[in-house]
Amino acid sequence: MLRVPVSAESSGQRQSQPLAIDVRGIRRVYDTKPAPVVALQGVDLQVEPGEFFGLLGPNGAGKTTLIKILTTLLLPSEGTAKIFGFDVEHQTKQIRRIMNMVAGGEQSGYGILTVREQLWMFSQFYGLPSKDGWRRVDELIEAVGLDEQREQRVSTLSTGQRQKMNFARGLLNDPWIFFLDEPTLGLDVAAARAVRELVVAWKAAVPGRTILLTTHYMAEADELCERIAIVDHGRILALGTPDELKRRVQRESVFRLEVDRLDGGPGSLRGLPGVLSAAAAAAQDDGKERQTVEINLALRDDGVLGTVVGTLAERGSHILGLRKSEPSLEDVFVELVGRGFDEELDDDVPRDSIDHDDSDDGPAPDLTPDPRDTAHEPGEREEEEAVV
Amino acid sequence: MSNAFAYRPTASPQEAAAWSRRQILLTDLRTIAGRAYPRVRGMAREKSWVFFEILLPFLATSAFVFVYRALQAPPEYIGFVVLGGAMTAFWLNVIWMMAQQLWWEKSQGNLELYFAAPMNIMSVLFGMAFGGFIMASTRAAAVLVVATVIYGVTFAIDQWFLLLAVFFLTLAALYGLGMVLASLFLMWGREAWHLTQLLVEPVYFVSGLNFPVARLGMIGALAIATLPLAVGLDAMRQLAFADAAYPIGTPPPEIEALILVGMTIVFTLLARFTLKRLERRARQEGRLSVRWQ
Amino acid sequence: MSAFEATSGATSPAAGLAPPEWGGFDPARTRGGPGDVMRAFKTSTVLGWQMEANWTDPILFFIYSVAKPVASALILVFMLEVIAGGSRPEYRAFVVVGSALWAFVLSGMSGLAWTVLDDRERYRMLKYVYVSPSDFLVVLLGRGVARVAVGGMGALITLLFGVLLLGVPFDFTTVNWPLFVVVMASGLVSIVAIGVMLAAVCLQTRQESWSYPEAVGGALFLVSGAVFPIVVLPQAVQAIGLLTPLSWWIEGIRQSLFPGGITSVGGDGSLFQSLTGQPVPAPAQIVVALLVTGTVATLASIAVFRTSDRRAKDRGLLDRTTGS
Repeated sequence: MLRVPVSAESSGQRQSQPLAIDVRGIRRVYDTKPAPVVALQGVDLQVEPGEFFGLLGPNGAGKTTLIKILTTLLLPSEGTAKIFGFDVEHQTKQIRRIMNMVAGGEQSGYGILTVREQLWMFSQFYGLPSKDGWRRVDELIEAVGLDEQREQRVSTLSTGQRQKMNFARGLLNDPWIFFLDEPTLGLDVAAARAVRELVVAWKAAVPGRTILLTTHYMAEADELCERIAIVDHGRILALGTPDELKRRVQRESVFRLEVDRLDGGPGSLRGLPGVLSAAAAAAQDDGKERQTVEINLALRDDGVLGTVVGTLAERGSHILGLRKSEPSLEDVFVELVGRGFDEELDDDVPRDSIDHDDSDDGPAPDLTPDPRDTAHEPGEREEEEAVV
Repeated sequence: MSNAFAYRPTASPQEAAAWSRRQILLTDLRTIAGRAYPRVRGMAREKSWVFFEILLPFLATSAFVFVYRALQAPPEYIGFVVLGGAMTAFWLNVIWMMAQQLWWEKSQGNLELYFAAPMNIMSVLFGMAFGGFIMASTRAAAVLVVATVIYGVTFAIDQWFLLLAVFFLTLAALYGLGMVLASLFLMWGREAWHLTQLLVEPVYFVSGLNFPVARLGMIGALAIATLPLAVGLDAMRQLAFADAAYPIGTPPPEIEALILVGMTIVFTLLARFTLKRLERRARQEGRLSVRWQ
Repeated sequence: MSAFEATSGATSPAAGLAPPEWGGFDPARTRGGPGDVMRAFKTSTVLGWQMEANWTDPILFFIYSVAKPVASALILVFMLEVIAGGSRPEYRAFVVVGSALWAFVLSGMSGLAWTVLDDRERYRMLKYVYVSPSDFLVVLLGRGVARVAVGGMGALITLLFGVLLLGVPFDFTTVNWPLFVVVMASGLVSIVAIGVMLAAVCLQTRQESWSYPEAVGGALFLVSGAVFPIVVLPQAVQAIGLLTPLSWWIEGIRQSLFPGGITSVGGDGSLFQSLTGQPVPAPAQIVVALLVTGTVATLASIAVFRTSDRRAKDRGLLDRTTGS
């Protein structure tokens, strides 16, 4: 896991600054044929300065639309959005000076230029003096691992190399807020990991910077983000830290336990207080003789584990392995929406013929974020270990 | 790594967002240089343009020279054609490399990055124009010099300063018009491609590329009032062939120079206005990203 | 024997695929043939027309089809008026016909060249067309046909404009239709051949080569007798004109539509006269010259295209973008 340390210092910085992202009631309708498409339906979102925030949702959820509004490329149909207090509609110049963006699958640039030249050109757009620009470009090329490609033409780069170059472009102006729109889209495992590591390294190197990441890769959001908003059909369905979101669906604590022996078998644990179920792990049912016993345990909460461990000790069993099973963010999504990321329900309306007349809908589901899921209040965040 | 990532750290985003006028101006100037860079490097890296942008246009100009020779026209008409042939280089630069360039950038996926950056989009267009200007100047100079030598054109220039001033004012007005067209083309999408086609021969005709525009009567007058190419060519003809036995243009070049000054101011201000308005409209309709329209 | 083998009659594992009627692989499809070629040509022609005709404003399309060729003709007509006044109506017919026909030439050349640039730079489809079984040259020709058709419309409109409004004398009863049909058909093949050569060049060059078709058109304008008789050119340059199929095409169309008019290829003191002893080429001479020069141009264009194609594959040029 690549989480970034969150220090009290950056937490203190957050208190003195306006919100990095302050979205209120944003609605965006695209006037398309045969019918308008409502891409965002009244979104509210607040991101603290220095946060690594994720927007997680399937294709067509409205993530890119929201990011385009925040990066001043698109106007909302209704509502307001501010970046560090600057309004996206009327204060675009100020926002563009302090932000940058990188999208996945980006094929921009001029194929005839080398990597170095391409980046220098963009450094000029951000006002860097020419010499400073060349120096910064060289530093960033080295930082992102494109040393060998620096004099190579952009048109000859591989997808992963191009994305590293895009990432370097995004860092040229040392942005206060960095928008990443599916940055690992289309990259292989190694290249995607490299990009994620770069993101984390950057955030660690320049404390106080904010990142908004949109992705439909659950593991990526889980791995990188301090807080996540799950988005679907233009609405935020849930908001919280990855652990908080998973706790919404995890009604019990599930463990996989391996012991050297267990008199009475797994079933003998069922009678213990707080044990909801205890069964042999699936691999134990194949009839093969084993030296150990693997058990799937479902407990009311983590506290019951102590009782189980004590009971096992009394019976002379030795614990050889213990692993907690956690629900994934996809489980959270399924719980919220009733389908997986890749599925469409039979009665789902095709995206491009959504009737956005709310009066025709039944009572809307209660999708307002649970206040208990709100991120830590400023000042309350504890020191967390970065697990790499 | 932290040295590489941090660059002039500021205390707050508000401080980072507060640019001075000097910083804004320097950024725009650097943007011009930055955007011109790919054009200039491109010229050096792929040299087919020397054949297609210099030799062949010279031959095209020669075709019109021979039309007049076939008609046994007075020698100054050969000069008109040569001068017109040289100036077409700049007109083509404006419509191919400026007017539809923003639309091209959208197709390439670069337009979003330009608008997400803090510089003025007019600086980007200036940079494109400057980069293309080098190629256009080379073409114009080649046509002018070679055709003058081969076809024995004799210029009679009394007012060098005014001629150079008119030339640069024509360019300034042309590029101002190019910026206006760039913003319109950004909105008209695919029409931009066809409109560029529309702006070649019809503009050559109403600008009097190969003949005095006054022969077009009211159309010519309208062209003088609206098209930088028409005004500039007419003035340059009068100044380059000052010893012509009969008036070869109207109004006098001094008046036409003033018209060009007015056009430059009007087109530049109009470009600023239209770029801002159309950027807003493009943001409203989501057109900065849609590739094919 | 598997169920598939039993049903399909295949006797080896490799051939034991689902039969075609079940949606399986049909080996016959790999063999190509005239049917496949025609299908590819027809599909790409329809695609080309849909792309060319996909205007949101049909009026703009009409203006584009009219304004461009008519303006070209008017430039020349006014040049003529400035010098000769209204005293040489036969010259007016000469320049109107020449500039109308030139619309064909430009659209044919640019159509194919721009197809390559469009597909490579804008739509990024070039590589997908290449990996399909269709021959790219066939697809290119099909796409180019649409632009030639647009050019044809412009040519017709310019001729009508000239006859109706510019006083070009035209007598329907004197038209040499057999000569017109043969020359038009052969000439269009030559135009497309030149277009293929340009497309081959564009496969190697960068995005800025959008203007190359016009540049080449301008150069050919000089030697093909489109707007002035080539007798005014130096003899060495006249020779180039006589070797160009476009010169014979334009001459043939002129002679068929306006018999007895000014010749673009011949004339007193011309190279043609010194070679043949005649001031004006006969229809048979025009047809033969057109067929010979057209054949050479067509063979050359195929060779150039194949060479460029190979080079592009060798250097990975098919899926690059080259904007600047």
